[in-house]
Amino acid sequence: MKRPLQLIFLLLLLCHTYVFAQNARVTGKVTGQDNEALPGVSIQISGTTEGAVTDVEGNYTLNAPANATLIFSYIGFANQTVNVNNRSVINIKMAPDAKALDEVVVTALGIKREAKTLGYATATINAEQIAVNRTPNVMSGLQGKMAGVNISTMATGPGGSSKIRIRGQSSFAGQNSPLIVINGVPVDNSNYALGGNYGNRVANNSDGGDGLQSINPDDIESMTVLKGATAAALYGSRAKDGVVMITTKSRGEGKGLGVEYNVNLTTETPLDFTDFQYEYGQGEGGVRPTAPNPLSGVWSFGEKFQPGMTQVLFDGEVWPYEPVRNRIRKFYNIGTNLTNTVRVSNNGENGGFSLSLANLDSKSIVPNSKFNRKTINVGFSQNISKRLSTQGNINYSNEYNKNPPQINGQEFSTPTVVMTLANSMPFEALEQNQLLPNGYEFPFARFLVRNNPYYAVNQHFENIKRDRIFGNIALKYQFTDWLYLQGRIAQDYYTRDQDYNVPNGYAAIAPAPVGFINGSYTQDVRRFRERNYDFLLGANRTFGDFGVDVTLGGNTRYVRMDYNSVTVQDFIQPGLYTVMNGRVKNPYYSLSERKVNSLYGAATFSFREYLYLNVTARNDWFSTLAPENRSILYPSVTGSFVFSQAFASMPAWLSFGKLRAAYAEVGDDNVSPYSNALYYSVNNNLFPNPSGDVVPVGGINASTIPNSNLRPLRVAEAEVGLELKLFNNAIGFDIAYYRKITNDQILAAQVSDASSYTNRLINVGKSMNKGIEMLISAAPVNTEAFRWDVSFNASYNTSKVLTLGLTEADTMIVVGGSGGTTLRQVVGKPIGQLYTFSYLRDEEGRQVFSKTSGTPLRGDLINIGSALPRYFGGITNTFSFKGISLSTLIDFKLGHKMIGGSNMNYLRHGLHKNTLVGRAEGYVIGQGVNSDGEVNTTRSPVQPFYEWPNANGVYEDFVYNAGFWKLRQLTLSYDFTKHLPQNLFIKGLRFSAIANNVAVLKKWTENMDPEQVNNASDNQTGLDFWPSLPLTRSMGFNLNVKF
Amino acid sequence: MRHIKIYISCLLTTICLLSSCDKGFDELNTNKVDPTTLTPSFQMNNAIINTSFLDGFGNLIHLSYTFPIVQQIVTPFGSSLSGGNYNVFNVDNAPRIWTTYYRNVVKDIVDAVEKTRDVEGSTNTYNSARIWKAHTFMILTDTYGDIPYFEAGKGFLEENITPKYDSQEVIYKDILKELEEASAALDASKPIESTDILYGGNVDKWKRFGYSLMLRAAMRLTKVDPDLAKTYVTKAVAGGLMQSNADNAATRHTALYVNWLADHLGAREKANYYLAAPFVNYLRDNNDPRLKAIAVRYVGAKSGSEQVNARATTDPAQQVGMPMGYDNVTIAQTFSSLGVVSLWDFSQVNVNTVLNRTVAPTYHVTYSQTQLLLAEAALRNWDTGDPATLFSNGIKAHMEQLAEYGPNAAISTNDNQTYIQAHPLDMSTQEKALEQINTQYWVSSFLNGSELFANFRRSGYPALTPNPYPGKEITEDFIRRMPYPDAELVVNQANVTEAINRQGPNTLDTRVWWDK
Repeated sequence: MKRPLQLIFLLLLLCHTYVFAQNARVTGKVTGQDNEALPGVSIQISGTTEGAVTDVEGNYTLNAPANATLIFSYIGFANQTVNVNNRSVINIKMAPDAKALDEVVVTALGIKREAKTLGYATATINAEQIAVNRTPNVMSGLQGKMAGVNISTMATGPGGSSKIRIRGQSSFAGQNSPLIVINGVPVDNSNYALGGNYGNRVANNSDGGDGLQSINPDDIESMTVLKGATAAALYGSRAKDGVVMITTKSRGEGKGLGVEYNVNLTTETPLDFTDFQYEYGQGEGGVRPTAPNPLSGVWSFGEKFQPGMTQVLFDGEVWPYEPVRNRIRKFYNIGTNLTNTVRVSNNGENGGFSLSLANLDSKSIVPNSKFNRKTINVGFSQNISKRLSTQGNINYSNEYNKNPPQINGQEFSTPTVVMTLANSMPFEALEQNQLLPNGYEFPFARFLVRNNPYYAVNQHFENIKRDRIFGNIALKYQFTDWLYLQGRIAQDYYTRDQDYNVPNGYAAIAPAPVGFINGSYTQDVRRFRERNYDFLLGANRTFGDFGVDVTLGGNTRYVRMDYNSVTVQDFIQPGLYTVMNGRVKNPYYSLSERKVNSLYGAATFSFREYLYLNVTARNDWFSTLAPENRSILYPSVTGSFVFSQAFASMPAWLSFGKLRAAYAEVGDDNVSPYSNALYYSVNNNLFPNPSGDVVPVGGINASTIPNSNLRPLRVAEAEVGLELKLFNNAIGFDIAYYRKITNDQILAAQVSDASSYTNRLINVGKSMNKGIEMLISAAPVNTEAFRWDVSFNASYNTSKVLTLGLTEADTMIVVGGSGGTTLRQVVGKPIGQLYTFSYLRDEEGRQVFSKTSGTPLRGDLINIGSALPRYFGGITNTFSFKGISLSTLIDFKLGHKMIGGSNMNYLRHGLHKNTLVGRAEGYVIGQGVNSDGEVNTTRSPVQPFYEWPNANGVYEDFVYNAGFWKLRQLTLSYDFTKHLPQNLFIKGLRFSAIANNVAVLKKWTENMDPEQVNNASDNQTGLDFWPSLPLTRSMGFNLNVKF
Repeated sequence: MRHIKIYISCLLTTICLLSSCDKGFDELNTNKVDPTTLTPSFQMNNAIINTSFLDGFGNLIHLSYTFPIVQQIVTPFGSSLSGGNYNVFNVDNAPRIWTTYYRNVVKDIVDAVEKTRDVEGSTNTYNSARIWKAHTFMILTDTYGDIPYFEAGKGFLEENITPKYDSQEVIYKDILKELEEASAALDASKPIESTDILYGGNVDKWKRFGYSLMLRAAMRLTKVDPDLAKTYVTKAVAGGLMQSNADNAATRHTALYVNWLADHLGAREKANYYLAAPFVNYLRDNNDPRLKAIAVRYVGAKSGSEQVNARATTDPAQQVGMPMGYDNVTIAQTFSSLGVVSLWDFSQVNVNTVLNRTVAPTYHVTYSQTQLLLAEAALRNWDTGDPATLFSNGIKAHMEQLAEYGPNAAISTNDNQTYIQAHPLDMSTQEKALEQINTQYWVSSFLNGSELFANFRRSGYPALTPNPYPGKEITEDFIRRMPYPDAELVVNQANVTEAINRQGPNTLDTRVWWDK
C-alpha cells in the first residue's frame, strides 16, 4: 500500500500548482430566460481554481486575466463558456439544459450512463436520504425506500448485520445477498451473523456484523441498486442477486475548498410488544416457592397473586409475591448513537479531493455492549495531463464491537432469560445476586444454561475488532476524444480479531481439576483479502444519427481468508483470560482461497438519442468448479425506446416516456472452495492408547457430501418496463415486470442421517421468481409557500419451485429448521415453505387427547405457507413549507407467514395468556375427544399440559401472518442557510429532527414484532424460537454545517 | 442468438487460451490444510471415541430414556428432560443415538472398513474395524429396530442418500457372521497398528473382544431364536472370551476428550438427575459395597446450590433414592416419609468417585458382563461352565473394575468377598437364577445405557415395578423402543415407511424383533 499513498500525495500537491497572470476586474449580472436574476451561479476561470459566485441579485465580481475564459455553470442550465477579451462587464443569459432532466446513473464497472439509455430498472437513493435518518448499519435505514429491495434488520444490536434481498430469493438456500460495489469495485460483504458465512468454533451466539458496517453514511455520494440480472450481467457471478452500487465522495461539490461538519445523535428505546399473564406468579405445578433457594426462576406456573403474599427466592430471602411488569424497560437501557463527521474537500478544474474523518459511538440497549467505528475516507480525481487522469478512493475503518449481545440460544443470552423470566421475579434480586461468595456463578434456575442476565452481561465478554482498508486506484488514458483505456487495482483487506470467554466458575460446565478453575477462552484471528485487477477499453463514436459505444474489459479476482484460532479450557490464575493461562489448549487453522477470471464486453448502439440497444457478454472461469464446468459465458441484451423524443407530435402533458426491455443470463459458483472433494482432518489433540502413548485421532471432516462435478448455477431474467413523466414532470411513473428463472442450483439438501452425512451438495433444481415493481411520485400541491411530494413504491414478488432433486420423484427438500418446525422447498409451491406439526383431530375436526395423560396427541405435519413476503413497499410523503420540511415513511411487508416460536417459550414457561385455562381448577380438560372417540374427560395437570406442545414440536397455535404496516421514519428538517449573514464563515446550516421505527400500524403476531428475528440465513426465514432482542425506536437529530 | 454465443465463446476462449484464464486453478482449489486421505486406524480411533458421544448432547438420550427406563437414574423434571421419567415421547432426545452414531461413528468406521478391505498388511485393522462396526450397529438396531445397515454410511462412498432399512433379523445374522469372520481372521503374525486406542494393536485382546461381543449378540436372541443363540454362544466360547478386566473394551477419556456423561451429571444437569429408588434400594438392601462408590447424598440440601461438599455423604445407610413416578411438584408428597427436605436431598451419582469427574472411562463390553452372560448360557446348558462360579466371577470383576475410576471408588477385597459369599447363585429354579444373573448384569452395566435398556428388554430382569407416573403415553408397562427421527419421514420416506409397515407403528411401544 505504500506506493499508492505516495502517489496520492504527489497528486494532491499537483492540485495546488497554478499558473498566475495579470488580472483585471470583471463584473456582470447573470439572468435566466425570463430575465430573472440567478443567484448562486458558479463562475470559474478556465484552467484555474479561481472564480466567483453570483449574489442574490445575480451579480458577480472577479479578477481575471484579460485573455481568460470564464465558465458559467448552474444546476438545470447549460454551461456557458465566454472569453473575457479585455471586457470589464460581462452579462450572461443562461439557457435551460435539456439534459438536466436526464439523471445520470452509475452502472456496472463504474460506468456512468444517462438513465434514459438503460433498458433495465434501477433504484437510486441520494446522499441525504442515506445520511439524515440513519442506522448504524447503513442499509437498515433504507427499508421501504426502494421498489423491489427487501431489507430486514436483525434484532441483534448496533454492530449487527442487515439482510438485503432484491427481487425475491433467487436460489433455494443459504445467502442470496446482492453484491456490494463501492466506486466500481466489489467489496466483501461477508456476514458474521447467525446463519451467516462463518460460524464460531465454540458456542457463541452473537451477530458479528457484515461488510457494510464499515461504511459511514456521510461518505456516500449516491447509492444505486441494479435490480435485475441484466444490470448485473457485467459483474457476473456474485451479482445474480443484484448489485448495490455505492459511490463515495471523491471531490468537493462547489468550487474550491470546502469544510463540512455533520453530527447525528439518536437514542434507542426498546419496544415492548408483550401481553403476558400477571395473575399467577413464579413457581411450578401451581405452587409458589416458599422454601429457600428455589430454582424455578423461569417458570410462572405458581399461585394466584393475592395481596400480602410472599415468596422465597433463589437468594434465600423473602420477597413480596407480586407481579413484576415492564421487564424490558427494567433490564434494558436506552441506547444511543452518536456520529461526528468532518469532511474537507476541494474541487478545481483539473481535479479535487475529499477527505473525511468520522467517529460513531453506539451504545446498545444491552448493558455493557457497544459499537465504535472510526472511518477515514479519501477520494480524489485528478487530470495528470490532457490525456491521462487518475481517480481513487481509500476507506479505512476501525471497528470495535464490544460485547455484541448473545442471542438465539440459552447461554448468556439476555433476551432468552429476560423474556421468559418468572413474572414475579424482581430484577433487584437478580442484580444483587450474580456471584456466590467464592466468585462462582449464582444459579437462579434449575436449567443452569439460563443465566442471570446481569451475570451474563458482566461476566461473559466478547470483543470483535476489525481493521479494514479497501479502495481502488484507476488510471485512465484518453487516446482520442472517443477512445480510452483504463486500468484499475482494488483491494479489500481486513484483519478481524475476536475473543470471548466462558467465565470462571460457570455453573453449567464441569468443575476443573484440582488446582485449576473452570471456564474457557477463545481467541480468533481472521485475515481476509480480496484483490481485483481490471482493465477497460472504451470507445464511443457518432456516425450521423447513429452512436456506438463499445467497452471491453477483463478482471481477475482473488479471495483469501486465513483463520487462526485457539480455544483454551480451565485456568491457572482466576480472571486472567489468556491462551497461556489455559490448561487445555486447542488450536485450529484454516485457509480458503478462490479465484475468478473474467473477460467481458459491452456495446451500446444509439439512434437519435431515443433508441438504444445494449448487448453484453461475459465469460467467467471459476476455480471452485470442476475443470470441465469451470468456464461459463453469459449474455445480455437490453433496449430502450424514448418515445417522447421519437415523435414530434406528442401530447403536451407527456414530458418523458420510455419503454424498455431486457434479457440477461448470469452464472454463479455459490459454493465454498474445496467443495469438490472429500477431506479428512487430524484432530488437534492426541489420545492415549493403552500403553499411555498418545496417538492420532482423525476422520472425515465433512458433514456435507462433496460433489466433484459441480456446474455453475444460472439465472436467466427477462424484464420489461415503462417510465413516464407527466405534466411537466409533476407526476412520475415507473413500472417493471420481471421473470427470473434460476437453474442448476447448487444446494446442500438435507439427506438421511443414515448416509452418515447431513447434507449433500447437488446441482439441480429450478425456481422462478416473477413480479412487478412500481414507483409513483407526484407533487399534488406545489405552490410557492407549500409543496407536498408523495412517492409510493410497491413490489409484488411471487416464486415457484419448478423442479428439485435428481429425479422427478424428488418433490421436496428440507433446508432448515429442527424439531417440529422446518423450512422446505416444495415443487409447485413458492420458495420457503414452513411446516410444523398439528394437533391430532378426528374426522369431525375435534381435537383428540390422550386417554391416559389428558395431553393432546400429535397429528400430521402441516404446511402453513411461504415465509417470504409477496408484497412490500413504502410511501414517502414530504411536506415543505417555508423551508421547513416534514417527511414520513410508511412501509409494509405482506403476504407471508412465520412460526412465532417465542410464544412456544412463553407458553411452556407459563407467561402466555393461553396458560390461564385450568389454573383455577389445577388441571386442564382439553376440549375434544379421546382416542376412542368419547368426549375427553381426562384431567391433565396444568404445567405438563402446556409443556406438551414444545416436547412434541406442535407449533400449530403459533403460526402467524408475518405482515406489518409501520410508520418507519419521521424527518423534520429546516435549512437555516438563508438566515445566515452573507459574509459569515458558515455557508450552510441544516437541522433535522429524526425518528426511526416510530410505530407499528398493523401486525398480526402475539407478544412480538414480526421483524424481531435474528438469523440472517435464508434457511431460517420465518422460524423463530428463542426470543430476540427487543426492537427499538430511535429518535434524535442531525445537524449539517458547511463552511 | 445461439450463433452469436458460439462466436463470442470462441473469441473469448481464444483470448483466454493466450492468457490461460484458469491457470493454476486446480492447485488453488485444493485444500492445503486438510489431507485427502487418512490412516484408517486413526479413523477407527475417532469412531471409538465418538461412540461415547463426543458431541456432548448425545448422552441426553440416556439421561432421558435408558437410565429412567431401567430405573437407575431419574429426573422429576419435565419439558426438555422428559422421557422415561413420565413415559412420554421427547422429540429432541429420542433420536440422539441415531443422529450421533450415524453421523459420527458409522461414517468413519464404514470408511475405515472399506479402505482396508483387501489391503495387504491392513488385515488386522480391517478386522478390528469390522468388530467395532458390529458393536456400533448393535446399539443402533437394539435402540430403533429395523435400521439402514447394509447401505448405511455410504453417502459419499456410493452416493447413497436414501439407504434402505434392513430387518433386525437380517442385521443380527450379519453381525454374528461379521464377528465370527473378523475375530477368526485377526492374526498376530500380520502387521498391527499400535496407535489403536482400544488395545494398542494387541490382536489377542481384539479377538477376545470380538468373541465376547459375539456372545452378547448371541444372547440377545434367547427369546426369538434360542437355537441360533446357542450356536453362536458355542462359537464364541470356542473362540476365546475376555479373561480379565484387562481385556475390557473401554474408552479412557482425557481432559481433552471428556466423558460427557460425567460432564452433564457433574455440571449442566447436576441438580436435575438423581439415583432412582429401585436401584439404591436394591444395592442397600443387599449390603452391596458398590453403593458407597456410586452414590452421594447432600444431606439437607434445599436447593441445587446447597449441594456442596460439606453436606456430602457416601454412607450407604443414609442414601435415599428418588422414587419413580413423580414430577417436580408431586415429589414433595414423598419428602416426609422418606426423610428428605427437598428433591435436592436425594442421592445422586457421585461424580467424584465413579465418574471421576470427566476423565472416567466409558465401558463398552466388560469381562464382568461377559462372565454373567456366560453364566446364563451355562444355566441354559449352552456352555459347560459352572453357572455359580461364572456368576460370582462376574460380580467380583465388576467390583474390581470400579477401582479403575480412582481410589475413592475402589472396593476392598474383603468387602468384595463378603458380598459374593452372601450372594451365591440360587439355582433352585432356572427363573430365580436368571433373575439373579440379569439383576447383577443390571448393576454391572451401570452407566452403559444402551446395554442396560437392551438386556432389560431381553431378559425381563431386574423385576421392576412399572413406573407409575400418571401421564404416560405408552400402552405397555415399559418403553420398548425409540421411534425413528422425524427427519427420516421427510428425507427417506419410502424406506422408513417400508420399515414401519414391517415392524409396526413408529412409537415407544413397538417391540423390536428379538424382543417379541
